[in-house]
Amino acid sequence: MSSHASLFALGPALYLAATGLLVLVLDSVGRTTRLPFALGSAVFGVAAVGAAAVAAFTGGTLLGLGVGAHAFAAMNAFLVAFLVYLVDPSGSNRLLVASVAVAGAVFSLGNAAYYLAYFGTTSDAQAALLFGDQLVVDQMSLLFMAIAASVTALVALASYDYLEGHAYQAEYYALVLLAATGMSLMAAANSLATVFVAMELASLPSFALVAFLKKNRGSVEAGLKYFLIGALSSSFFAYGISLVYATTGSLQLEAVASALSGGTEFVGMLGIGMLMLVGGFAYKTASVPFHFWAPEAYEGAPAPISAFISSASKAAGFVIAFRVFTVAFTPAGLFASLGIDWVLVFQILAVVTMTLGNFAAATQENVKRMLAYSSIGHAGYVLIGLASLGGVASQGDTVLGASMMHLFVYGFMNTGAFLFIALVEYWGVGRTFEDYAGLGRKAPVACAAMTVFLFSLAGLPVGAGFLSKYVLFFGAVSAGFWWLAAVGAINSALSLYYYTRVVKAMWVEEPNGELELQGRPTGLYAAVVAAAVVTVLLLPGFFPIAETAIEAANAVLPNAGDTTTAFFG
Amino acid sequence: MTGTTPFAFEFAPAIAALPFVSFLIALAFGDRMPKGGALGGILATAGSLLLSLWVFVTVSGGSAYVHDIHTWTILDAGGALGDVNLHFGLLLDPLSAMMLIIVSLIALLVHVFSLGYMNDEGETGLPRYYAGLGLFTFSMLSFVMADNLLQAFMFFELVGLCSFLLIGFWFREDAPPSAAKKAFLVTRFGDYFFLIGVVGIIATFGTSRFAVVGDAAAAAFPVEAAKVLGVTEGTATAVIPGGMDPQLWFTILGLLVLGGVVGKSAQFPLHTWLPDAMEGPTPVSALIHAATMVAAGVYLVARMYGFYLLSPTALGIIALVGGFTALFAATMGVVKKEIKQVLAYSTISQYGYMMLALGAGGYVAATFHLMTHAFFKALLFLGAGSVIIAMHHNENMWDMGGLKEKMPVTYYTFLSGSLALAGIVPFSGFWSKDEVLYEAFVHGLGTAGTQGTLLLVAYAFGLLAVFFTGFYTFRMVFLTFHGEPRSDTAKDPHGVRWNVKGPLAVLGILAAVVGLVNMVPVKKLTGANIDFLHKWLKGPEALKAQTSVAHYTDGDTSLLHEGAHYVAGTLAGGEVGTVLISAAVSLGLALAGAGLAYRLYNVPEPVEHTDKLGAAKDVLYNNYYQDEFQVFLAERVTMPLAKAADTFDQSVIDGAVNGVSSVSLFSGRRVKRVQTGLVTNYALLLTLGFLVLLVAMAATGGWF
Repeated sequence: MSSHASLFALGPALYLAATGLLVLVLDSVGRTTRLPFALGSAVFGVAAVGAAAVAAFTGGTLLGLGVGAHAFAAMNAFLVAFLVYLVDPSGSNRLLVASVAVAGAVFSLGNAAYYLAYFGTTSDAQAALLFGDQLVVDQMSLLFMAIAASVTALVALASYDYLEGHAYQAEYYALVLLAATGMSLMAAANSLATVFVAMELASLPSFALVAFLKKNRGSVEAGLKYFLIGALSSSFFAYGISLVYATTGSLQLEAVASALSGGTEFVGMLGIGMLMLVGGFAYKTASVPFHFWAPEAYEGAPAPISAFISSASKAAGFVIAFRVFTVAFTPAGLFASLGIDWVLVFQILAVVTMTLGNFAAATQENVKRMLAYSSIGHAGYVLIGLASLGGVASQGDTVLGASMMHLFVYGFMNTGAFLFIALVEYWGVGRTFEDYAGLGRKAPVACAAMTVFLFSLAGLPVGAGFLSKYVLFFGAVSAGFWWLAAVGAINSALSLYYYTRVVKAMWVEEPNGELELQGRPTGLYAAVVAAAVVTVLLLPGFFPIAETAIEAANAVLPNAGDTTTAFFG
Repeated sequence: MTGTTPFAFEFAPAIAALPFVSFLIALAFGDRMPKGGALGGILATAGSLLLSLWVFVTVSGGSAYVHDIHTWTILDAGGALGDVNLHFGLLLDPLSAMMLIIVSLIALLVHVFSLGYMNDEGETGLPRYYAGLGLFTFSMLSFVMADNLLQAFMFFELVGLCSFLLIGFWFREDAPPSAAKKAFLVTRFGDYFFLIGVVGIIATFGTSRFAVVGDAAAAAFPVEAAKVLGVTEGTATAVIPGGMDPQLWFTILGLLVLGGVVGKSAQFPLHTWLPDAMEGPTPVSALIHAATMVAAGVYLVARMYGFYLLSPTALGIIALVGGFTALFAATMGVVKKEIKQVLAYSTISQYGYMMLALGAGGYVAATFHLMTHAFFKALLFLGAGSVIIAMHHNENMWDMGGLKEKMPVTYYTFLSGSLALAGIVPFSGFWSKDEVLYEAFVHGLGTAGTQGTLLLVAYAFGLLAVFFTGFYTFRMVFLTFHGEPRSDTAKDPHGVRWNVKGPLAVLGILAAVVGLVNMVPVKKLTGANIDFLHKWLKGPEALKAQTSVAHYTDGDTSLLHEGAHYVAGTLAGGEVGTVLISAAVSLGLALAGAGLAYRLYNVPEPVEHTDKLGAAKDVLYNNYYQDEFQVFLAERVTMPLAKAADTFDQSVIDGAVNGVSSVSLFSGRRVKRVQTGLVTNYALLLTLGFLVLLVAMAATGGWF
């Protein structure tokens, strides 16, 4: 393993964080502060270039940072200077702020994709370990950073229109970007301490975002509930960490694993601790029984935020679950023999979560709430990845990789579906299935995109959701858990029912009254169409994602090959 | 196969491609072209004919060709079979080369004839008509060249589709669409078994190739089957289900494929669609429902004859079905009033002869009769078409009479076809039918036990049918052309042009002389080597153990003896005596039938004699109540079964589905109620849920 990886490896997260701060800076630029900001940034940029030069010539590091990190800081500083110079204090900065947010997310995505490409093309690429192994950047981190960044980009793009007429827009984007930073760090967290910190970094802005519509009772109420349940769950999680620490004396995941490799005498303590960790993950991924916040938060939040939380935040919750359980509490068989059969726990959670989510979704009248429950159901499908790890060992990478593929595709199709809701909310159309009647004739492009999302969510081969679900069930069957796949398939069949209701309302049913749609919001349309195009294109282009996901799974699962070299030196 | 592939074989795919192009052109531009796309079809089929002749010459030069054109997929069948290759391919050997010429020649003549029958009569929808003919010709030629059973099946279905489209050409009338549906459904019933047979053969042998030339790695299923049974030397793998006796399993497979053959070649009991198919335009009847498509069934049996020869049971069934159909259909032909109906039953009957020949081990005889029949029956149908034009589309023979003087070309060519059909020496039908009966007779005499008896019974059917054939054929000729005109139209018939007379003349000459290519009785009597067809079907050396006549019928080591256990026997007087007796008996019966028709109908004012048949009259008029029987089967057996299945579907399947959905909706509403909206409740439920999980895990894991 590399011991001298640079901060540069965290590029995707840094882009998000820097963009968040930049957005705040841009928003606070006034007529008098404009020049000092620009000058200050330029001076800082020159300093960073100088530091990079010094570091390069001396062959060492300066302030503990490598050349890459200094160059990165310089680039950002000059960018700030340039953008601040563009700000017109008398006018509105809305467009600039939104553009910067989207650009930052796209940069982050590009950075993650670049690193992933490196891993994909270099046979002996090695994960980067940072801050005394507290953070790790490997394929799994990068894949989930890519998910967070792509969802953030879509959400930021859509928010431009959605936020029209609202106050505190820069704060909104900054919160989104900071939450996304937290999610990226969750993907890289390699110790229970960093996991906790990253989770809180992702959660705290989310609470504020859900309650963003201050004058909307539902939004404020949802934010409060989300916060309260979040606080409760965080306390569960923190207590779980303390119990695991008490048993093993370590927080770093590999250290926990090695401490437990010979078994432990404190089985009960460890067991309770691990279950509490499961509780923390269940909260973040909206799995039963920690799911209660989800329907209300998703329904009450501004629709782009619902998309953000239900796609990116869920994926981030899963990545820490994947990492903690495959790195720290491994191999699964050892824990089963100790009496802490965590695979069984995930099996129970998977079955209960997908069944409850889908059954509840089937009876909803409100489309947004239906999608909220469907999101719980999808958490259940993804849990199959962890729930199938105890079976045929050689199939573990397929099924865990399939979970990652599903989350990746889900990042587009579910985000797209919620953004369509945002579009409908923008038009002021009602929220129930009946209100959607006849929408297809008024807005055929958006409704076609929504149809793609819904069918892809259901697992029909119009979008990549078909393939990810197929690989997931296939992986479960080949790992020996055919019954998990069977439950999943039955739930999928049920899900088709309620997804089709929306499609039917949009295309088949006659509108109740006059349906007038005001305006064609460019940003929202662009985001919805982009998500739909990606969802469809991933169908033929599924292979690279599948390959990356399976390699990522292979890297974290035990008995994976370890012949790697450094990239982030 | 020798070093280089002859040019003709490289061009062979174009034989089928040309009509396909004409189909596309007629479909796309037919409206804007003169003659509604007919000229394209004529050019294309003429091109196909030329290429077919080239292939024929090349095959005569001792070459054969098997070639994979396009592989769709290679399945991993696993186990002993390994990879299964599903592909389009070509098999060009004497049999397919001969068939190519028959199909492309008749297709060409029918295209020309259609100018007179369709264009000159001012029909509408001509592009659709010529598109149908083009697609049919393409499909039929591709079927003929198929080198494997799956491809054969696909084109077998396509010709069925074309038949459906063309029978129902006048879709605004009542009868044609109904006849088209009937033809489609009845043949589809047989094809269902065929499909199972195809899958079975692929699953058993891992290949459905008919033959291989030169490539040692490839396998052909008839050859593999012979090895499995130990009939020929060599090792082969075959997957036989459930430890069944291979012989029995191969018989089952053969009979499954035979289902498609019985449907397509209109054999009893699936023959009922063919008389109805006469609702289509007459050139279509000539091409599809007489000369070519109906021959596809017989051709298929000949194509995989090496497989059938391994199963005496299947052969016996083929012979018996064939003989019975020959007689059965001939008796129905004697009472029909419409000229095309007589020809339809005659077609069924003649295909019965071919099946009889195949079942009796007469590979050459069947192929020979297939060829002569194609020519004389196409001729008769086109002649009938000419008469129908003249009669302003009245097909009733009782309204005709005396047309002999008015339309001499039609009369003399029709007479040539009739003499061939009746089997009067020296017209073509005599030679081929005589050989069919001779083969059945000698193998019936020589083969021991039930097998031999069965062949003799089938032979007796066939022999008796000769008499009826002679009778109905000349009844038709006399009623149509002789005597006094019995209606105003017959007194003043509509004239026909060169495009009708030309094809008739070509076919009239062929019907008279084509039998001379295989005068086996003359050879037996004089010792002159004039059995050219027999020699030709022996084909190149590369096919000796695959599809050649030598492999099938000649010598003590042929499959006919080793696989089917047929032995030729003779009557008093040895071979020559048997030949003479057989030929004399069949010729005598044919003349007797024709003579009776002469007595009854060659009078100036013929009258119906059907009342003399007594009770049999009704039975014959109603075609032995076969249609009624099939309707009975559909209404009394299939309908209740379908209704029961429907009830099962509605109550049990849908009940279960509805049950599941109502349970899920109900429990969904329950779940919804848990979500009270009170955050304190959520905290409580969350903690309780966690505790339940904790207690469950602690209990199972024994933590404390």
